Amino acid sequence: MKSGVLKLILVVIGLNLFFTYIGLDFLPQSESHPPREIKIQEGISQDDLIVIGEKIVFGKGQCMVCHPMNAETGMRAPAIATIGRDTKEHAKKEGISHEEYLFDALVNPSKHIAEGFDDIMSPAHKPPTSLSEGELIAVAAYLQSRGERVTISYPESLSILKEVMKKEGGS
Amino acid sequence: MAEKSIKQGVIKGIIKLTVILGASFVLLFMFRKMLPAPTEDGYRLLPVIGSRVWVWIVAQLHLNFAAFVLGVPIFAVTMEFLGWRRSDERLDRIAYDFTKLFTLAYTLTALLGAVLMVSLPLLYPKFIDHMMKILGPTWWVYILVMYGEVFVCYYYFYSWKRMKDRKGIHVLIGVLLNVMGILMLLITSSWVGYMTTPGGVSETGELVNRWQAIKTYMWIPLSLHRLVANVVFGAGIAAAYAAFRFITARSDDERAYYDWMGYTSAMIAIGFSLILPGIGYLLGVEIYAFNEQMGIQLMGGFFAWLWVMQAILIGAILFAVNYYLWISLNKMPGGQRYFKYVKFLFVVIFLGYAVWLTPHSVALSLEEARRIGSYHPALGKLGVMASKNTAVIISYLATFISFAIFRMSNKEPVVSWVKTGQLIRILLIVGSSVAVLGLGVYSYMVPSVTRVKVLSPIQFGVFFLCIVALYLLDSRMYKGARIIGEPKWGKMPERSQYALIAITVTFTWLMGMMGYMRAGGRQYWHVYGIMKDTSPEAYLPSHGTASVIVTIVTVLFFLLVAFIFWSIMKLERFSEQRRAG
Repeated sequence: MKSGVLKLILVVIGLNLFFTYIGLDFLPQSESHPPREIKIQEGISQDDLIVIGEKIVFGKGQCMVCHPMNAETGMRAPAIATIGRDTKEHAKKEGISHEEYLFDALVNPSKHIAEGFDDIMSPAHKPPTSLSEGELIAVAAYLQSRGERVTISYPESLSILKEVMKKEGGS
Repeated sequence: MAEKSIKQGVIKGIIKLTVILGASFVLLFMFRKMLPAPTEDGYRLLPVIGSRVWVWIVAQLHLNFAAFVLGVPIFAVTMEFLGWRRSDERLDRIAYDFTKLFTLAYTLTALLGAVLMVSLPLLYPKFIDHMMKILGPTWWVYILVMYGEVFVCYYYFYSWKRMKDRKGIHVLIGVLLNVMGILMLLITSSWVGYMTTPGGVSETGELVNRWQAIKTYMWIPLSLHRLVANVVFGAGIAAAYAAFRFITARSDDERAYYDWMGYTSAMIAIGFSLILPGIGYLLGVEIYAFNEQMGIQLMGGFFAWLWVMQAILIGAILFAVNYYLWISLNKMPGGQRYFKYVKFLFVVIFLGYAVWLTPHSVALSLEEARRIGSYHPALGKLGVMASKNTAVIISYLATFISFAIFRMSNKEPVVSWVKTGQLIRILLIVGSSVAVLGLGVYSYMVPSVTRVKVLSPIQFGVFFLCIVALYLLDSRMYKGARIIGEPKWGKMPERSQYALIAITVTFTWLMGMMGYMRAGGRQYWHVYGIMKDTSPEAYLPSHGTASVIVTIVTVLFFLLVAFIFWSIMKLERFSEQRRAG
């Protein structure tokens, strides 16, 4: 009886150690920290703005959680690689500027659902993403750079963004 | 302990709860006076292990016990009812044994809840203030229901023997106990639901509508998921208790009884676990409906690798269950006839396990995903949900077949349509497997929305239809069957009992890990999108750190459970001595 109980205890401890070993040694190790606000200097070059925008798209913005880089079967949201070109076409159809369209798609995404996709995106300037104005402009510049010439800059484009936010009551 | 009068027992329970609650309020008041004021952000940092780890361990231990004391009464009452209607003494005895277990566990549950109740307002005062502002009234209802539950629970336990001639009323008391339990579950799930998928508040966290704050996206699916998981977990602990009693049994009669109890408990656990993926799926759908990013983060973001861990754990449980059932064939006269099928079942479960274990991607971050792609570099799309769902369903089907084989292994059907029945059985198994596989392959070719909303539910539907049909077919085919011999309960090797213990340990570990994932889905938010966690501990730890903490919780939990088992045995011995004296 005593050896039975001992074996039983060994099973409990052994399994726990085994699972801990898998967690420690088999699974990749990394921590996930809350994102920090990225300060954007006035007069930043467009190239640097695009680099920051890319960083946000892949990090704090969590855009790649739904958007794949290249088009693939079953994707939840439009591919990033051609999003500059695609959004320009949509903007033309709606009779608004490309900049305005991009900003509006970030702060009022429900208004601009691409064909074949569901309304799943939350406004990028509100929680949980909570991008600042500068960050929104950087993201829009990066998105525009995917297949189009970049016309967005900081702080020049700020007035368009503010107009969009004011018009839609999104601020 | 059961010799006490009903009144004495109930009063003891109420006093115990009042003392625990009273002491908690006094301690909370004293600590608030003694400790330094919280930081400007509203935190007090616990030295050495940190506030988060402390709350994590205490909350998970409390949840484990709460799951146990809410889950076990469901099947204890069912067993009592069945024992009463069938005049089966053995069912009544197992129901009483289950009741003994959860009645004793109540005190520990309350004590751990009290530690949590003191810790949270001390360490996270601002967050608790917010929760009280939004959901405060539910807390007071919770205390009322807790008193109601303790009253009914102790009444139910202490009146067992005295009400043996009024079983109908006693069963009704048991049903009332479960109603109380479900109410408590609904209240606590509303708190977690609000934290994860909040509603009824403005963007700045001001209360707009309290009912909306209670009735969040997550509320009902989470409550349902917890309800079923509680039954699975409670039955698992009961199986562990039976295994422990089997190993320490002093007579063949005792061994036979606890072998049967272990089998019954394990089958309740596994039977209910079959519906968990379906309810978990519902929960997932609601999370996605609330916020797609949160859903995807949980399923494929930072937590992607923990789903592989989940597969390892559930796969281990399935292997242990099947192993237990295969060994159990030895105690069934005629069971040897089915040994030849074991190797095929093993291969099916093994292959299912392999597919399930294939990670979606080996990337841990979005940066990595961009570098190496969002799929596994070598296995491509083999690790996506389309194939995993298929593999899980096939593995569960194989487990059900192991169970069906065990149940029928000591019987010989005598109906005239045996051959037709066997052909229908083969057609059902092969047909549903082909359908599930076909749907799995087709899932690769459709948008994810169609897979999630249409094809996956159909796959689960096919599986459930198949097992219900198999169950009904066997019930008809084996009606009045020739019994080759009665099961030789107790004639089991000790290693079968380690399999039962392994199932329960793995369940507990799994529950700890899934609880962490559910809470971690909020990332750096106390209340998602409403109230940020601005403490220095507002980050998700590495999977290794999380595993260590889950292990600490599991080991502590088993130590406490062992104490309960030991107490029951001691009380039984004490009662025997008193009777003998």
